[in-house]
Amino acid sequence: MKKAFLIYLFILPAILLAQMPVGFKLVKDTLAFKQKMETQSKLVNSIESDFVQEKYLSVMSEKIISKGHFCFKKVNMLRWEYTDPYSYLIAINKDKMFIKDNGKVSKYDINSNKMFKSINEMMVNTVQGNLLNSKDYKVQFYENDKQYLLELTPTQKAAKDFLKSIYLYIDKTDYAVVKVKMTEPGDDYTGIEFINRKTNQPIGDEKFIIK
Amino acid sequence: MKNLLLSSLIAIILAGCTLGHYGRLRMSDSNTSAPKPFFGDNFNSFLFKTNIHVYGKHFSGLLVTKQLQPNDYRVIFTTELGMKLFDFEFKDTAFTLHYCVPQFNRPLLLKTIQHDIEILLMNNLSGKPVAVLTDKKGLYDIKQIHFDDRYNYYFKEKASQHLVKIEHSKKWIKKTIFTLNDYKNDFPGNIIIKHCDIKLKIELNLLKR
Repeated sequence: MKKAFLIYLFILPAILLAQMPVGFKLVKDTLAFKQKMETQSKLVNSIESDFVQEKYLSVMSEKIISKGHFCFKKVNMLRWEYTDPYSYLIAINKDKMFIKDNGKVSKYDINSNKMFKSINEMMVNTVQGNLLNSKDYKVQFYENDKQYLLELTPTQKAAKDFLKSIYLYIDKTDYAVVKVKMTEPGDDYTGIEFINRKTNQPIGDEKFIIK
Repeated sequence: MKNLLLSSLIAIILAGCTLGHYGRLRMSDSNTSAPKPFFGDNFNSFLFKTNIHVYGKHFSGLLVTKQLQPNDYRVIFTTELGMKLFDFEFKDTAFTLHYCVPQFNRPLLLKTIQHDIEILLMNNLSGKPVAVLTDKKGLYDIKQIHFDDRYNYYFKEKASQHLVKIEHSKKWIKKTIFTLNDYKNDFPGNIIIKHCDIKLKIELNLLKR
């Protein structure tokens, strides 16, 4: 018993340290962080930003880099557009989803499709940093001088099959999500970095209707 | 006999299959090597914007091929947002399914896509007996390779010296047509795979190599 306790005492901190993202430490007052994040989120009515997405596949020597632009407007309006090296656009307008690919527009009712519903929730909550309130994820809170880092681990089996963790990097000055990293069970990942971010600038509703 | 012929013809039409034009091809030589696989390019990877249309459903994303060893290829299909849809490996004659989302995990669909990619990779063709044929107009050098009762016809355009079409047939019936267009630096910029007997079309547009 004593031996087991000693092993636990010495091994556990080592395990915790090994899992800690490099350069980050645990947030002590997670409740205060959550409250602040919620307050800041309420102040944001629109977001516009460029993004750079990198897809890492362990078998590839190079990452796949895609670039684009996104707009978000409360409530539940999102435009996510890839411009380089291909054109592809997803727009969410409340309960409708539009996909424009190769010049062809497809329109879907989000509520009619479970997959579209979860894509919608995931995208809208990710850009707002609201995933930490979801029951579908267990959240770990880390911080360094400049950023908070939230590690979200899915709790549902269906999500666990394709998603290991989501890392949200949040700027400490304005509580904006600056980077998202989604890792898969085999450690391949997708990283999205937001640049040239503007908040609360007027965005016309027509941006979220694709014809 | 007449009825049998008629019902066979109707069965072929209903099945949506196309009779090949192979009877009009002439055998010209049988001493030649198999076509060179264009994905086997110094272990480079290729990235395609890809659309898969299957029975009214539409999947779009990015398809990556990577040669790991001389006869070992990895082929991964992800959505534009980065979610992996399937991950295949073709090593010699073995196939490994590393990953697949439930939407794709249907044996017939998976097997068909696997088979299409296998034909496109042109892996393990060396050493197979090859017959050389010519068409009536003399536009193509055609190589025929057979696997049991199935045949692949590789159409190399004489003028450009590019492989512009692969036809996969079962006996005399055309099953799948691979069209290779927009060549740049000896690699096709656009590949269309169209099935004659099922509603499946795959289009690949090269983004990067």
